[in-house]
Amino acid sequence: MLLDDSQRYSRQIQLPAINVQGQEKLTGSTILIAGAGGLGSLTALYLTAAGVGHVIIVDHDQVELSNLNRQLLHRESTIGRPKALSAAESLGRLNSSIKITPVQAKLDQGNIDDLLKGVDLIVDGCDNFQTRQVINRACLNHGLPWIFGGVRGFNGIATSFVPGSLTCFECIISDPGHSSRPRRSESGQSGSGHSNPGQGILGPTAGIIASIQAMEAVKLLVDMGTSLVNRLIHVSGLDMRITTSALTPNPDCMVCNPVKKKRTQNKRTQKNDNPV
Amino acid sequence: MIIQFNGLEETIPRGLTISQLIEFFKEGDPHVIVEQNHRYIYPKDYDKCMVMENDKIEFINPDLGG
Repeated sequence: MLLDDSQRYSRQIQLPAINVQGQEKLTGSTILIAGAGGLGSLTALYLTAAGVGHVIIVDHDQVELSNLNRQLLHRESTIGRPKALSAAESLGRLNSSIKITPVQAKLDQGNIDDLLKGVDLIVDGCDNFQTRQVINRACLNHGLPWIFGGVRGFNGIATSFVPGSLTCFECIISDPGHSSRPRRSESGQSGSGHSNPGQGILGPTAGIIASIQAMEAVKLLVDMGTSLVNRLIHVSGLDMRITTSALTPNPDCMVCNPVKKKRTQNKRTQKNDNPV
Repeated sequence: MIIQFNGLEETIPRGLTISQLIEFFKEGDPHVIVEQNHRYIYPKDYDKCMVMENDKIEFINPDLGG
């Protein structure tokens, strides 16, 4: 580790759980941040500042004025520019000793396998179900961890999925485009007691969830602490309540159960091939 | 009977299932996530999962913005 790097990261290297070895793990890691929006901005800032060696940031959108209340990577001067490039410039100014790769593209089935080459972990900063579905399935296939986060209004949820998790994203979140139950009220007070925020969001909502995601990313990369794997965290900012719920396997999941079965079969085959 | 619902004390009729609790509170989000005593409940179990006195129930509207 270079001398100025040890100064730059000194406050986290002082933490016994991280130490020089943990910092070297971070420096040797590659992460992909899917989206340079509210969540992606903050996770990218924290993980770049923490010294993750290679940050790939993927976004197909352009910076708009309405982004600036929460997407803190972007500036008035970058309105109209591709978010991936605007993000990479900001991150480069924060930490010039790491590699930052902007990818101006929409993450989809056609490009995700290529983009995940050499990646150790994916941080979700998407704003829709479909892209998360693509990430979920690719991560299951490649055996990669990813950190889900979602925000709206004053509320947010997050969890981490790793190979061997009890659940996958599609176990616990259903496609909002394919509703099995009719929606009775599209606006106004819902039973959960919060006014419908529509597409509205307060900046700190994204900040809280992104910070949780960044913390999870560092923990998983360094291999320390207890992650959110098999737990869903929910933050309600308006009444400042944080709850976590235990996730249990979904035997009906058509996405992760075949992968789990295949893994178990492979393990059995390996055991049979290598008798002790 | 009394339960803790989204952090607040609420009085509800006895003998409700999660499905009936969703109706009772007029929850309009078909994708609402239900947490009972810090455990995620799958929608397929809503009809058979009973709400008990002092249960801690959370209705979480999944937030998929970024």
